[in-house]
Amino acid sequence: MMRRTLPTAAIGAVLWAGCLALPIFLDSAWISIAAIFAIYAIVALSQDVVLGRAGLYDMGHAVYFGIGAYATAVLNVGFGWPILATLPVAIVGAALVGAVFAAPIIRLRGDYLLVATIGLNAIFVLAMRNDLGGLTGGSDGIPGLGVPSLFGLQIESQSALFWFDWVLLGVVLLVMRNLDRCELGRALRYLKQDQLAASTLGVDARRTKILAFALGAGLAGLAGTLFAVQISTVSPSSFVFTESVTLFAIVIVGGQGSIPGVLLGTALMFVVPQIFREFAQYRYFIFGIAMIAVMVLRPQGLWPRARLAR
Amino acid sequence: MSALLELAGIGISFGGLRAVDDLSFTVGEGQIVALIGPNGAGKTTVFNMITGVYRPNGGKILWYNHDITGFAPHRIARLGIMRTFQTIRLFSDMSVFENVRAGCHLRTRQHWWQGLAGLPSQRREEAEIADRTSDILKRLDLETVADERAIALPYGVQRRVELARTLIANPKLVILDEPAAGLNDRESAKLNETIFGIRDSGITVLLVEHDMNVVMNVTDHIVVINFGRKIAEGNAATIRNNQQVIEAYLGRDDDETEEAA
Repeated sequence: MMRRTLPTAAIGAVLWAGCLALPIFLDSAWISIAAIFAIYAIVALSQDVVLGRAGLYDMGHAVYFGIGAYATAVLNVGFGWPILATLPVAIVGAALVGAVFAAPIIRLRGDYLLVATIGLNAIFVLAMRNDLGGLTGGSDGIPGLGVPSLFGLQIESQSALFWFDWVLLGVVLLVMRNLDRCELGRALRYLKQDQLAASTLGVDARRTKILAFALGAGLAGLAGTLFAVQISTVSPSSFVFTESVTLFAIVIVGGQGSIPGVLLGTALMFVVPQIFREFAQYRYFIFGIAMIAVMVLRPQGLWPRARLAR
Repeated sequence: MSALLELAGIGISFGGLRAVDDLSFTVGEGQIVALIGPNGAGKTTVFNMITGVYRPNGGKILWYNHDITGFAPHRIARLGIMRTFQTIRLFSDMSVFENVRAGCHLRTRQHWWQGLAGLPSQRREEAEIADRTSDILKRLDLETVADERAIALPYGVQRRVELARTLIANPKLVILDEPAAGLNDRESAKLNETIFGIRDSGITVLLVEHDMNVVMNVTDHIVVINFGRKIAEGNAATIRNNQQVIEAYLGRDDDETEEAA
């Protein structure tokens, strides 16, 4: 048992541990790119919970990323909370919004659900731009976030932030792997493949899907905190609709329900453009062509989920 | 013998069509009951009402004398009512093992957060689920194909996989929608044994079937419907000699047919 998934997981763990040594070899610009990769990898994985695993067409996922980032920025800058204390609020707050938003619309068919999530994204960005409750700072957002401190140590340097992000990425990867191996993860797959059959086996479609939404949103909220800390300013432009589309595309191009696929998609979107910095303005052009090519030639994604694992 | 499931005058309309009308019958605990009738008589619609896929717009469905009319499918499953489908509905992306394991859903005790954390108690339960799945695969002679993709297998094997998926849940009642459809003679003969085996393990069986070899040989009680209404009810011998049943199946001359209802 697990003979197909175990080696991949083991290789992944070794790779992850190896990456922890990256700051020794990279210059500070690249360290921050690697940190950003970890943050977006978490958001993409959280999108995958909703889209890839539960099969729910969520094209407003940047909202939960944004809620996490704003929760941290508002509480830290506005109320002087330490960064780490804002982290649970970011996670739980995003998860709650996800659950409350999903509850009435979760039974919508795929395309209708997609439009509803786009609507949520539009409302969120508008609310942030209009300085919601005098807290979110309007179009300029909230600048000047502090840094997290752990046991009296300031996580301040590029390297320290990198490790902070990568350790949390490691935790999220572990959670995602566990999701593959527990009843919740399986129930999501049953629902995605045949909701009627799943229901007659006792799967509560509504509850399970709302849970998936909340879990995806919560993980995105976690990434939001990391993002806010990394760039030390939070503004609406980071959470607009095109960001949601990008996250959606990463999962589809990388491979739905596939951890390595989603990581690969994230790297293609956020790391490769940095390597070819002089072509950076062609980022969406290149990724757009990749999207078309993958959909035509390899609709299951670049690195599809391993099949028939026990 | 106490009534496990009772349909009391249930009916449903689709648009202007009364697909099932004022249908009543009882399934006793430990029985094997067949629901038969010509194509389009409404048999699968009855199953869909019992299992919560359709909500009847008339009548009541009672389970141990409790009203369960209009319950959602997952609540029906929770009561211990499991079904198979006329058009087999296996999870297309999964192996036989994974498909059968899906039937364990209601028997798992783990909470979602225990699963995400991978706690030892959850890992233990996972191992139990795997063992239970292997056991039932063995019982239904499916262990050699356990790792095959389920929907790539022959029809008869797929039917067994679907059956295994319901039995692993340890239901009180299984509802089989045309279990013999698409089976070859050998498989169909074996089906009778399988159905008796299910009953002997304490599970009540309600089935829709066209294969009269199966219907006449395994059932305790037969309910015949045509155009959504019950036209006869009784044991195999009674039904075989019932004039209305014979007419429903073989037809009558010309336009007298609608009188059959």
